[in-house]
Amino acid sequence: MSISDISTSIGNIHLSNPLILASGILDENGHTMKRILSEGAAAVVTKSIGMEERNGYKPPIVATDDPIFINAVGLPNPGINDVGEEIKIARESGKPIIGSIFGKDENEFIHLAVKMQEYGVSAVELNLSCPHVKGFGSEIGGDPTLVKKIVKGVKGSISIPAWAKLSPNVTNLLDIAIAASDSDALVLINTVRGMKIDIYSGRPVLSNKVGGLSGSSIKPVGIRCVYEVKSNLDIPVIGVGGIESALDAVEYIMAGATAVQIGTALWKYGRAVFSKVSMELVEFMSSEGYEKIEEFRGIALK
Amino acid sequence: MINSIRILRNEINTPTVNSLYFHWDAMVEPGQFVMVWVPGISEIPMSLSLTGKEKCLTVKKYGDTSNALSKVEPGERIFFRGPYGKPFTRVKGKTLLVGGGSGMASLRPLIDKNASGVVAARSSDELLFKELFAKDRITVATDDGSEGIKGNIVDAMREIELEAFEMIYVCGPERMIKSIVDFVSVRKINMELSLERNMKCGIGICDSCSIDGFQLCTDGPTFNLSTVLTMKEFGRTKLAESGKRIWF
Ligand SMILES: Cc1cc2nc3c(=O)[nH]c(=O)nc-3n(C[C@H](O)[C@H](O)[C@H](O)COP(=O)(O)O)c2cc1C
Ligand code: FES
Repeated sequence: MSISDISTSIGNIHLSNPLILASGILDENGHTMKRILSEGAAAVVTKSIGMEERNGYKPPIVATDDPIFINAVGLPNPGINDVGEEIKIARESGKPIIGSIFGKDENEFIHLAVKMQEYGVSAVELNLSCPHVKGFGSEIGGDPTLVKKIVKGVKGSISIPAWAKLSPNVTNLLDIAIAASDSDALVLINTVRGMKIDIYSGRPVLSNKVGGLSGSSIKPVGIRCVYEVKSNLDIPVIGVGGIESALDAVEYIMAGATAVQIGTALWKYGRAVFSKVSMELVEFMSSEGYEKIEEFRGIALK
Repeated sequence: MINSIRILRNEINTPTVNSLYFHWDAMVEPGQFVMVWVPGISEIPMSLSLTGKEKCLTVKKYGDTSNALSKVEPGERIFFRGPYGKPFTRVKGKTLLVGGGSGMASLRPLIDKNASGVVAARSSDELLFKELFAKDRITVATDDGSEGIKGNIVDAMREIELEAFEMIYVCGPERMIKSIVDFVSVRKINMELSLERNMKCGIGICDSCSIDGFQLCTDGPTFNLSTVLTMKEFGRTKLAESGKRIWF
C-alpha cells in the first residue's frame, strides 16, 4: 500500500503538509517561527503587523479554563519598519512565511502589503477581523464596501497572493466573503467575541475586559463558516478555529478547506502539535484508503 | 483556572522583599512558577519560594503590581494561575545554590542539609535568605562591600570549587546569569539555570518570553548549561513588550 501524500497547494504556494501556524500565536520572534517550522509546521503566519509600534494590552491577556481560551493581547507588534529582521530570520527555514497585516483603511493596508512583499513573504494575510481593538478589526471586517476597497487596493499593489481573514462576529458572513472574493484565498475564522468574569474578585479577568474565544469551543462555528462560504463561492479557503487533531483538520477539509491553521492547540500540545497532527493525518488517510487530500476535500458539500 | 486563596502571613525579608505564606493543595516542584493577578493592575510571573503543603510567594517590589502584592494582609486574597514551567532536576549529592537579586526566592525550596549557597546583592540589607544556610555553607558578595566579598556574584563563585558539587542551581536576572555562564563556560560541571524574561501569557502562546525559539514559560524557566550555551539570543537580544527586538 502506498503511503498517503499530505502535501497541498494554495495557489502557487506549496505546503509539505496542510498545517500552518495561525497569526498571533508564537510568531513575533523570528527564531520562534523558525523553530516551529523546523518542528513540523508547513508555513507560519506572522503576528498581525500595523503601521506603528504597539505594546498591546496589559496582562492578563489570556483567560483560560480548559477548554475555554479567551485572549485580548491587543495587537502588540513592532511596527512594519522593524518586523523585517524577524521575517529574515524566519525565512532561513526555507518554508513559506505569510505576513499578516492590519490597518485602519486601504492606504495603510496597501503600504503594509508592499513592505511585506519587500521583506520576502510568500503571501500577505489581511486581518480584517481582529475583534478586540477599537478602530481596527471587526469595524472594518463588518463593512463590505471597505473590505472590497482594501482587497482591491492590495491586489492592485503587490504581485504575491493576498489572503483575506474574516471574522465570525458579523451578521452576514457571506456578504463579507463576497466583498473579499477578489483575494486569492479566504481565511476562516478569527476569534469569537467573548468574556470571562472571576467570581471571587467580581472582575473581568482580561485587562481589556472583552476578548476573543478560540480553541475547541469555536470549531463548530469555524466549520459552519467554511461550509457556508464554500457552498456559495469558488475560492480557496483556509480553515482555522479549534483544530487540535487530524480529525478536526479533516472536518475542515471535508467542508472545503484547502489547508488549515492551528493556534490555540499549542497551549495543550506545544509546538509538537504540528508533527502530531501530520502523523495522525497520514494514519487517518491510510486507514480510510485516501492517497491524496483532494480525494476528500469538500466531499461534505456534495 | 484562577486560584483565589487567603494568605496566612506577610513577612518582611529585606527593605524591598516580602514573602506571602498560604495553603494551596497543589503539587508544585522547585523552579515552577505561577502567574499572579492583582485585579485592576496587572499579572506577573512569580516562582514559588516554598513548595510543600505551605506555599510561599516572595515578592520583590519593582513596579505597581509587585508593590500592591507586597501589601496584601493576612486574611486577604491573592489570585493566581499555575503552576507552570519545568522544575529543576533534583539530585542526591551536594548542591550549590547561586542566587542574585531576588533569585534566591526560587532556589529556597532546594535548601536542605546538602546545600551550600552563594548570595549576592548591592548591599548587606538586600541579601535574601542567607540566614537559611549554615554559617560555613554560605558565601556572600555585595557591590558596596558592606558584607562578605566586595564584588559581584562571579567574584563570589571564584572562591568555590564548583566541580565538588553534584549540581549547581542558578537563578537571577539575565545579565547576571550571562556573566556566570561566561565564567563557567565549558567547565565540567552540572548546572541548571532558571532564566527570567517578561511573560504575558505564561503558557506558551504569546512569544514574549522566547529565547532562540524556546519558550521560557513552557520549555523553561529552568535550562541546563549546555542548552543555554547554544542560545544565540541569550544575554544579547530580546523582544520588547511590542515585539520589537532590543539589545541588553
Ligand atoms: C493569543 C492569540 C492572539 C491572536 N492574534 C491574532 C492576530 O494578531 N491576528 C489574527 O489575524 N488573528 C489572531 N488570533 C486568531 C488566530 O489566528 C485564530 O484565528 C483563532 O485563534 C482560531 O484558531 P485556533 O482555535 O486554532 O486558535 C489570535 C489568537 C490568539 C489565541
Ligand atoms: S509568556 Fe507567553 S509564550 Fe511564554
